[in-house]
Amino acid sequence: MGQSDLDGQIEKLRKCELISENEVKELCRKAREVLIEESNVQRVDAPVTICGDIHGQFYDLKELFKVGGDCPDTNYLFLGDFVDRGFYSVETFLLLLALKVRYPDRITLIRGNHESRQITQVYGFYDECLRKYGSVNVWRHCCEIFDYMSLSAIIENKIFCVHGGLSPVIGSLDQIRTIDRKQEVPHDGAMCDLLWSDPDDIEGWGISPRGAGYLFGGDIVAQFLQNNNLDLIARAHQLVMEGYKLMFNNTIVTVWSAPNYCYRCGNVAAILELDDKLNKNYKIFEAAPQDVRGLPAKKPAPDYFL
Amino acid sequence: MDPITGLPSSRRSTLSDDAHREGLTTETHDWTLVKAIDLVADQKVVVIDGEKPIEEACDILTRNNISSAPVYDASTKSYSGMFDWADVMTYLLIVLKKKDASQQLEKTDAELSAEFNDLVKLASHCQPVPVKLASDLSKKNPFYSVLPETSLLQVVELFGSGTHRVAVVDANGIIKGILTQSRVVNYFYQNVTKFPPIEQLFPKTLNELDIGKGFVISASSDSFVLDALTMMIKNGLSSIAIVDSEGMLLGNISMTDVKYVLRSYSHVLMWKTCQQFVSTVRSRQGLEDGQDRYPVFDARPTSTLGYTIAKLSATKAHRLWVVDERMRAVGVLSLTDVLLIFARSAGANPKPKRVSSLSLSSPTSQSE
Repeated sequence: MGQSDLDGQIEKLRKCELISENEVKELCRKAREVLIEESNVQRVDAPVTICGDIHGQFYDLKELFKVGGDCPDTNYLFLGDFVDRGFYSVETFLLLLALKVRYPDRITLIRGNHESRQITQVYGFYDECLRKYGSVNVWRHCCEIFDYMSLSAIIENKIFCVHGGLSPVIGSLDQIRTIDRKQEVPHDGAMCDLLWSDPDDIEGWGISPRGAGYLFGGDIVAQFLQNNNLDLIARAHQLVMEGYKLMFNNTIVTVWSAPNYCYRCGNVAAILELDDKLNKNYKIFEAAPQDVRGLPAKKPAPDYFL
Repeated sequence: MDPITGLPSSRRSTLSDDAHREGLTTETHDWTLVKAIDLVADQKVVVIDGEKPIEEACDILTRNNISSAPVYDASTKSYSGMFDWADVMTYLLIVLKKKDASQQLEKTDAELSAEFNDLVKLASHCQPVPVKLASDLSKKNPFYSVLPETSLLQVVELFGSGTHRVAVVDANGIIKGILTQSRVVNYFYQNVTKFPPIEQLFPKTLNELDIGKGFVISASSDSFVLDALTMMIKNGLSSIAIVDSEGMLLGNISMTDVKYVLRSYSHVLMWKTCQQFVSTVRSRQGLEDGQDRYPVFDARPTSTLGYTIAKLSATKAHRLWVVDERMRAVGVLSLTDVLLIFARSAGANPKPKRVSSLSLSSPTSQSE
C-alpha cells in the first residue's frame, strides 16, 4: 500500500467516510508490522499530549484535534477505549490506526479494556461493524490488531501511562515487559488488571465492583512511583464530569476525552499537554456542536445509550 | 485486603500466636449466637400495599433499589407474601407468551409500549392486577419470618437450604427488617477476623471445598429472551448463563434484569436475542455507574473462598460463574453455596429445598 493510498484513506476517514473491507484488511496488515515492534511499556518522548477514552465519538475526536492540534504537528498518546458505545467506533478507530501507520513516531495507541473481542460483542463495536460492512470480517481484523497494541507507555522515564491502573502482581515496569500481550485480554491476571483497575479512597487493594481488575489506594500508588522512580500515573477508564481528575496528592490523574458521553452525560472532556520539560497543561473541551455532527448512516440501535 | 484470600491484609493466618496487631481486635465471638435483629438494626423496611397495581409495586422496588419487598394484605391484616422481580417476570411471560415474535419485531417502540401497558391492565380481564395476587407467582420467594432473637445459625441454615431472605418479625407482627443472604454474607466478610472458624475457610479454594461445580444451565446467545426466561422459570433459576457457539460464557440474564424491560420504550427487549438483551442491560448499567463492568462475574476453581466472597460483596452479585481457562462455565457459586459452607462449619447440615447447581444433572436442560 503506497503512501498516497494511505493519505487518500486518511482523507476519507477524516470526513467520516468508510474505507473498503479490503482496504481495512491491508491497513491492519501494515499496522501489525508497526505495533509488533512496540514494547509493553512503550517509550514516548515529550512534548506529548495525552488523551483518554474516545468511545467512537468521531466528531468529538475532531474537536480534540482542533483543541490539541492536528497529527502529526502534535505528538499524541491515546490511552485506549477507541471503540464501543458511540456511533462511529469504526471510523474513529480506523482513522487513529491509519494515522499510526502514516506517522508511527507521532502518535501512540495503547490498549484499553474495550479493545477486546468479548467486550466489543457486548458494548457495540461488533454490531456496528456488522451493520456498516454486512459481515464480521472488519471486526475480526480490528480485534487482531487490538492483540498487538501496547499495554502501557512511559514518558521520559517519569510518567507512567496505562488505561486502567495497577495490579497486585506487578511491582515494577520490568514485570510488565515480561507479559506476553499478543492475546485476547484475559479475565484475570496482570494484563487484565492493567486495563481494568481503578484508584479508590482505600488503603491497599480492594476487589473491583466492575468484576475485573482491582481497586488500589494512594499508598499503593506512592509505593509504585517510588519503586520505579516515577512522578505520576496518567490513566483513563472512568468517566470524569470535569474532564480530568487528580487524586492522592496529584500522584495519579484520570483523563477522559469523550465529551457528553454517550450523547447524554453532559460532561466536558480533557487532554493533558506536556511540554518538553513535562510541565502540565490540561485543556478542556466540549462536544462538537449539533450542526457539524453527521447523521448516522442508518438508524442506530437505541440500546447503546438509553 | 489480601487479593488472594480476601482477608484483611495484616491477617493471613488465624493460627498465629501474635496477640495484638494495632487497630485489629483479637476478640473472637461465636457467630452462631449473633441474633437476627442485630443484622437489620438500621434498616428502613419497605412494605408494599397489597392493593397496589403491579406497575406501582415495580416502581417501588426500583426506586428503593431492592429486589424484593413484603406485601401487606389489609383485608386479612397479614403479609400475603414477598413480591420480587421473578414474580414480575413470571407474570410477563404468562401475558406475553401468546404473541408472535416476528410480528412483534415489526412494531415500533411506541406501539409495543402501548400494547404492553394494555396487556398488563387486561391480563386479569378487568382492573390492573393487585400485587397481592402476584406475590410469589414464581413460587421461589415465599414469605419466611423469624423472630428478632432467632440465632444467626438458624438463619444461615435456612439460607444454606436455598431461602433467599427472611423477614424479622417481632411478637406484635411488626416487620423489623428484611434479612437477605447478601446482608449476611457481607456481615461475615466485614467481621471475618472475629470468627476464626470462618476465617480459616477463606484461604481454601473452591476445589478444596468441593463447591462451585456442576452442570450449568445455559441459553445460546442467538436464542430469544422469552425462551431463555421460560427456561429459567421452568428450572427455578434466578439467573441463566448466556454462551456463544463454542460454549464460552458471554454474559447472563437474571430475574432482576427485568427492571430494565419495564422502562418506557424498552419493552422491545423482550423480543430480542439473549445477546442483544445482555448488551442493552450492561450498556445501561455502565452509564448509570459511570464505568463499564465486565460482562460476566466469574471465578476459577482455584480461586479462594475469601476471594469469591470479596467479589460477591464488591459486585453485589448473588452468584459467580465458575469458569475454566477457556471461559467455559464449569459451575456456579451462589450465596446459598457460601452459606451452606458456613452452616456446615458449625455442624449444621441444611438440606437443599430444591435442586441447586450443586447437583443439577437434568439431561433435558441443554443449551438452546
